[in-house]
Amino acid sequence: MLNKLVNWARIKSPWILHFNCGACNACDIEVLDALTPRYDLERFGVLLKATPRHADVMVACGPVTRQVASRMVRIYNQMADPKFVVAVGTCASTGGVFNGCYNVLGGVDKIIPVSAYIPGCPVRPEAVIDGVVKLLSSLKQS
Amino acid sequence: MSKITIPLGPQHPALKEPGNFMLVLEGEQIVGATVRLGYNHRGIEKACEDRSFIQNLYLIERVCGICSHSHTTCFCMATEDAAKIEVPKRAQAIRVLVGELERVHSHLLWLGVAGHEIGFDTLFMYAWKDREQVLDCLEMISGNRVHYALNTIGGVRRDITLEQKAEILKRMDILEERTQYYIQLATQEPTVLARARGVGHLPTEEAKKRGAVGPTARASNVPFDVRKDDPYLIYNELDFKVITSDSCDVFGRLVVRVFELLESFKLIRQVLNNLPEGPISVKVPRKLPAGEGVGHYEAPRGEDIHYVRTNGTEKPERVKVRAPTLANFSSIAYMLEGGYLADVPIVIAAIDPCFSCTDRALSISTSTEGGYSLSWEDLRKMGIEFYRSRGLDFSRIAK
Amino acid sequence: MTEGRTEEVIKEKLEGRFGTNLSNWTIQRKGRLYVELPREVLVEVVQFAKEELGFDHLSTITGLDAGEHLELIYHLFAKGMLLNLKTKLPLSDPKVKTITQLFPGAEPYERELEDMLGATVEGLPPGRHYPLPEDFPPGQHPLRKGWKVSDAYPQEV
Repeated sequence: MLNKLVNWARIKSPWILHFNCGACNACDIEVLDALTPRYDLERFGVLLKATPRHADVMVACGPVTRQVASRMVRIYNQMADPKFVVAVGTCASTGGVFNGCYNVLGGVDKIIPVSAYIPGCPVRPEAVIDGVVKLLSSLKQS
Repeated sequence: MSKITIPLGPQHPALKEPGNFMLVLEGEQIVGATVRLGYNHRGIEKACEDRSFIQNLYLIERVCGICSHSHTTCFCMATEDAAKIEVPKRAQAIRVLVGELERVHSHLLWLGVAGHEIGFDTLFMYAWKDREQVLDCLEMISGNRVHYALNTIGGVRRDITLEQKAEILKRMDILEERTQYYIQLATQEPTVLARARGVGHLPTEEAKKRGAVGPTARASNVPFDVRKDDPYLIYNELDFKVITSDSCDVFGRLVVRVFELLESFKLIRQVLNNLPEGPISVKVPRKLPAGEGVGHYEAPRGEDIHYVRTNGTEKPERVKVRAPTLANFSSIAYMLEGGYLADVPIVIAAIDPCFSCTDRALSISTSTEGGYSLSWEDLRKMGIEFYRSRGLDFSRIAK
Repeated sequence: MTEGRTEEVIKEKLEGRFGTNLSNWTIQRKGRLYVELPREVLVEVVQFAKEELGFDHLSTITGLDAGEHLELIYHLFAKGMLLNLKTKLPLSDPKVKTITQLFPGAEPYERELEDMLGATVEGLPPGRHYPLPEDFPPGQHPLRKGWKVSDAYPQEV
């Protein structure tokens, strides 16, 4: 019973931690753009948080460079359960155009579990909204 | 007073980019600062050697999502020099058009981010909303809001139609009006001035000595602008001013960028109203003759330089990219020292750092001698509180 | 920075001072000058270019593996002209002196030469790696020709 309540609360307004793991910034600015007046993700209750402890969803952009990898795992571990990771963009999904580069691990799922992938180079803000909504509705079903 | 060292990062203020700074504090003042780079190193230069020139265009574009056109144009110019390819006038004009549109989007993006750093979130929302006008223009011409892929070796891939021209001109008028508001905000609003004046001081001689570039240098009265100092594409035929300020601080950097917006609108109108006729590209062989070339470009953040060596095959022998933020590095430490902890986010944001461009690295230290470490967000909030307790509150600005 | 300088004038002034040390002059086009010089005179030439010829901005330093040797190119800029100074370093002894006393901003560019090519820049103050991660296997220099990811991380490929 309590579980359902907590779940419902999470679905209503997911708090997001945005993490750049070696990205070129294109996806980062489109994610931030989703919060600005034209797209306005905040009307769905989605809020950008700065600390992992308050966040439900980690939104990760970038192909994961070596330096960032251990930091990313640490931040993931600091998030409270239940937590979800959304790989935003082609780089976060598969390494994208940087696949094969020596300093790049090639995708967020190489180091932490990913709940949703949003393709695009960069993603469009609409795709970010779509991805978040899809993640939320899949949570509702579980 | 005892000294404590605090590490900051890796989430950098201006766009949640990975960055790291070690600050040595005495009380509230910073007495030492070291900047460490490294998180964004992806190994692009090495990867370039394994890809054809056209494939490299797509890779180089992604050095940075904000100034992607700057990088591809610079790369094309270096390659075209190396292979002695002459680009048709119309293509050069279109490159300038997109370059200036990019400058507008980048400066508006910066304006919003700077606002966010000092607690003026309304400015962030306004600037980014206005920025959508430019993104619409770019999407109209190229099909994408970010990463427009307009360049090819020897020219551009898409032409500008008359309808597009009319639409862009219309939006430039809208933006120019909005920019008047930003100029008034930047130069007259007391709360903004209080956060920006006297902060992040970089005297002219230091800026020159340390090789500062872009608006950071121009705000310290160093009139360095590659469009005037080493004209490329059709800039030597266009009428525009190099904006400088002798303020040598964050205020100067703000003023320079806001007035540069006006110059960009001027340039965009000139280009659109005088688009030369002719082809938009020349046919270029897959294998380029051996040679070398340097591309020199004024990106929104400053001087961008690419070196390309060709070797007679379809892949480059060497591609070197030095993006603008790296040149501004040694200036940051100077600007932070002697300043207050509360000013750190805006000082760093004011050079418009693009760690993606630069890094291609950053490292983070978790050593906490002295007992604490800070995240950017903590520091940003601290800075806002510090000034709010002294009467600077952006929520009081009505519009 | 004097007005009315041309590539020829710069070449003449450099030749006047350094004469036979300079070779392989190329005036590729307006504003692009390339010349080769031995590493022994590098710092002096850079200083002369900066103090006497107005090249007060170092844009960057390119390093590359040219097979038989390492090649470094120092890109100096003054209004209207990029002066590209090339020098060769033998693979057996890839040392070069620092120019940070003339251009403090050269530090990351010189560190990059050390990390990526295995050059040694004498006089560079100690500091962290740039741009490679601190824990990158030592002795691995990605920009050397023939270097592969598996050289540093054999377990990954």
